[in-house]
Amino acid sequence: MKSKIKALCITTMLSGMALSPLPATAQELLIGLATAQTGNLAPYDQPSLKGLEMAVEEINATGGIAGKFPIKLIIKDTRSDAAQTALAAQELIDQGVNIMITPCDADPSIAAGQITQAAQIPTFSFCATTPTMPIAVGDYMFGNYPADNVQAAVLANHAIEQGYKRAYILKSPDSAYTLKLPEYFATSFKAKGGEIVGEGTFSMGQQDFGAEVTKIKALNPAPDVIMTAAYEPDFPAFIRQLRSAGVDTPILGSDGIDSPTTFGLGKLVEGVVFTAAGFATEGSPLAKFNAKYKQRTGQEPDTNYIANGYDLGKVIEAAVTKADGIEPTAIRNAIASLEKVPGVTGPITYVGTQGMPLRSVALVRIKDGGRELVSQGVPAAADVPAP
Amino acid sequence: MDMFLQQLVNALSLGGTYALLALGLAVVFSIMGLINFAHGELMTAAGYGLIFSLLLGVPFALALPAAVVVAILLAVLMERVAFRSVRGASGTTLLLTSFAVSAIIRVLFQNFISARPMAVRIPMALSGTIEIAGLHLGIIQAISILVTIAMLVGLNLFLHRTVLGRAMRAAAEDFAIVRLMGIRANAVVATAFAISGLLAGVAGVLWVAQRGSVDPLMGFLPVLKAFIAAIIGGLGSLSGAVAGGFLLGFTEVFLQAFLPESLLSYRDAFAIILVIAVLLYAPQGLLARRTVVKL
Amino acid sequence: MLLSLNPLPEAILDVRGLKVAYGPVEALKGIDLSVRKGQIVTLLGANGAGKSSTLNAIVGLIGKKAGNILFKGRDVASLSPERIVRMGMTLTPEGRRIFPSLSVDEHLLLGGAAHSSRSSIREVREDMLERFPILRERLHQKAGSLSGGEQQMLAIARSMMSSPELLLMDEPSLGLAPQVVDLIFDLIIGLRDRGLTILLVEQNVSLSLEVADYGYVMANGRIVLSGTADELRNSTEVQGAYLGA
Ligand SMILES: Nc1ncnc2c1ncn2[C@@H]1O[C@H](COP(=O)(O)OP(=O)(O)O)[C@@H](O)[C@H]1O
Ligand SMILES: [Mg+2]
Repeated sequence: MKSKIKALCITTMLSGMALSPLPATAQELLIGLATAQTGNLAPYDQPSLKGLEMAVEEINATGGIAGKFPIKLIIKDTRSDAAQTALAAQELIDQGVNIMITPCDADPSIAAGQITQAAQIPTFSFCATTPTMPIAVGDYMFGNYPADNVQAAVLANHAIEQGYKRAYILKSPDSAYTLKLPEYFATSFKAKGGEIVGEGTFSMGQQDFGAEVTKIKALNPAPDVIMTAAYEPDFPAFIRQLRSAGVDTPILGSDGIDSPTTFGLGKLVEGVVFTAAGFATEGSPLAKFNAKYKQRTGQEPDTNYIANGYDLGKVIEAAVTKADGIEPTAIRNAIASLEKVPGVTGPITYVGTQGMPLRSVALVRIKDGGRELVSQGVPAAADVPAP
Repeated sequence: MDMFLQQLVNALSLGGTYALLALGLAVVFSIMGLINFAHGELMTAAGYGLIFSLLLGVPFALALPAAVVVAILLAVLMERVAFRSVRGASGTTLLLTSFAVSAIIRVLFQNFISARPMAVRIPMALSGTIEIAGLHLGIIQAISILVTIAMLVGLNLFLHRTVLGRAMRAAAEDFAIVRLMGIRANAVVATAFAISGLLAGVAGVLWVAQRGSVDPLMGFLPVLKAFIAAIIGGLGSLSGAVAGGFLLGFTEVFLQAFLPESLLSYRDAFAIILVIAVLLYAPQGLLARRTVVKL
Repeated sequence: MLLSLNPLPEAILDVRGLKVAYGPVEALKGIDLSVRKGQIVTLLGANGAGKSSTLNAIVGLIGKKAGNILFKGRDVASLSPERIVRMGMTLTPEGRRIFPSLSVDEHLLLGGAAHSSRSSIREVREDMLERFPILRERLHQKAGSLSGGEQQMLAIARSMMSSPELLLMDEPSLGLAPQVVDLIFDLIIGLRDRGLTILLVEQNVSLSLEVADYGYVMANGRIVLSGTADELRNSTEVQGAYLGA
């Protein structure tokens, strides 16, 4: 609790300082964060920010990027509201930021991106996964997370390898992630000879799956596998009601379900396979990062978003080093040419992409209440369905 | 046919939860003319009550009532701190106050508990299923139907057999006159809030048992549904709220069950169209009743 | 004659300089009146004179007001209606204001809510059912289904359930058939004979002056005339304005 209050104070202090336009010293890299401290995106933006702050601290301890460009973060809460995100982005541009960071969702990121694109400020979304996001905005917009179509390709490959022939997909039109990821999966799965025997829909937060489960149960022939990008609170509610109804069809999920709630479901989620942005095998950079994080903060790094935020710091460091300056367009060009930046979640590549990085996806199976790595790597470009 | 019966059970369980929530809204509205949008936060509070009771080592069976008590206390506290001073004010003032209370509580949850969902370990025994005549009844689903019935019967007894209960029914019709019986207005209003807290707490626990986690914003959607249910039934009418809750639950489940796949994503739109149709036919709601809200 | 030789009974209610405003509209501009123990005092006046406002203010239903209201020697001007009722004064409101969906019995039980023991509630309830046999017949009926006269009796019985010493009545005969009006007035006399003090607001001037000991006449938020019932009955103002002489 104490550290939370402290974090709150720092955030307030920072935004307070931001009010008085501080003339940045010539070599100070200003990073503006139009991200959510409150609202429904806070669960993703908050840990991402924690990771980023840790990277910045480390970089500044050595005198800044390449020893000469210290970083300053200016943080504004968007309250998870797209209009507020655009507003915050505009204010940050007025304060002369060199790089912008936007929330873990495509909608507010695109709203802010419209402004940063016009102002030619390179912009990263913390962890939006929609592959069309950078295309919708322009060449100054970048992702920082494995895209939906990449995750879907990994899941489809796995389904085919397991010998599944018939799949059922469960999607929600309420967000691009919950809608498109299963659709990308269906495209990939069908391309490899699989068949989609049914599609279900749910409303996010609805968490009553009785009707849907009854329908799945009545499917004839029964599906070999169920794929969904539902996450909290929908995923736990869905799987609880599905298993309660006596349906034990295997389930494929996406990175959204990697949370303590899922693991709290115990036996119900045994055998579920899902994608993740990273996996901490013993001795891996991610394992080392997690240990370091715990030692620094005293808290368990209970989500990959922390490491992912930290890696964004590493990407920015690589880009500014390469640009050897803090001029926004030079930084943008440097980002677009980055290749295999060694992040703690794996190598990160922007060169040759449309803004969504190529980075490895881990496939994880829940076993005995813990995580078991199934595979890890970047899928072949040919397997990834077009955005 | 089996499928139909199964869906009927699903509808009963979902409708019951909506009914409890809508009833909680209606109890307060009938007495104060206040649509309490912070009702959802009472559910959330019950969820956190459950989590922290379990963390403190309270056995699950005792953590459940403890969670409900948390919701009741928060409801009474809300009334005392925020709503008492605006009692008798215009509907708009009351509505805005409740929006503010709701927003403040959510931010407090986010900043002082966690912005991220917290898992609740629901005992495995509750994830099982009972089979009755070929119908699969999830244990949580069965419990939720039984609890809903018990709450409705209990509340009905309270409202008809006790002085405070009768006073609440009377106050819904004419609050000023209830005070002329020497009955304290504060006691009646506080009781209404305590009951709404109880109903929200019970619904919250049932909701959390399904989803397995608590997050600061979890109350928003159910309270929106409850609000729709209460409007369908006629705001301020208690039996209307129950009817509206069940009607909404049935509509949602049966649309989900029998709409063709291509139309499924419009399910909520169809549900709202039904609401509009009901309101066109009965603008005051199905079981509307004139309420005099004068203090 | 004999009465006037006795020292006057003491005042149970003393209102001094009572003012009430609804927003910018001043409804009461300084009312002085007093009600003596055991008497029926009537408050007369045209529609909109401020009679209901006076009663509502006295019993605490209007919170914002100026002036003093001494009930049994204590200033109750700042007290809530529930406190005032528990001190022994209540109001049978204009228009009856019964609870349509509650049963007759529930009205009586609620009316007695201020009693501390169940047995005294039961006692008073029995007394009321004795006095209003029609209510016993309708005991489990919803009040909304009663006739106007029955509703008025229910409203009076409900008020009486709190065993008041002073009863304020606001137009109890309003909208009732003539025989029922007589019934209500008989009832009022009966209550007074039992020792109840009554402040009666009425449109029916001749009947009220018949039962009353003393009266006040209001116009435009002020008391314009007062006197014993006889004096008022014979005054030219009252004759001209209300008795149609
Ligand atoms: N609630 C109210 N709001 C505004 N004006 C009122 C209200 N009640 C009464 N009045 C006004 O106060 C004056 C006195 O009304 P009232 O006390 O009801 O008179 P009476 O009972 O003698 O007919 C009238 O002009 C009436 O219009
Ligand atoms: Mg009047």
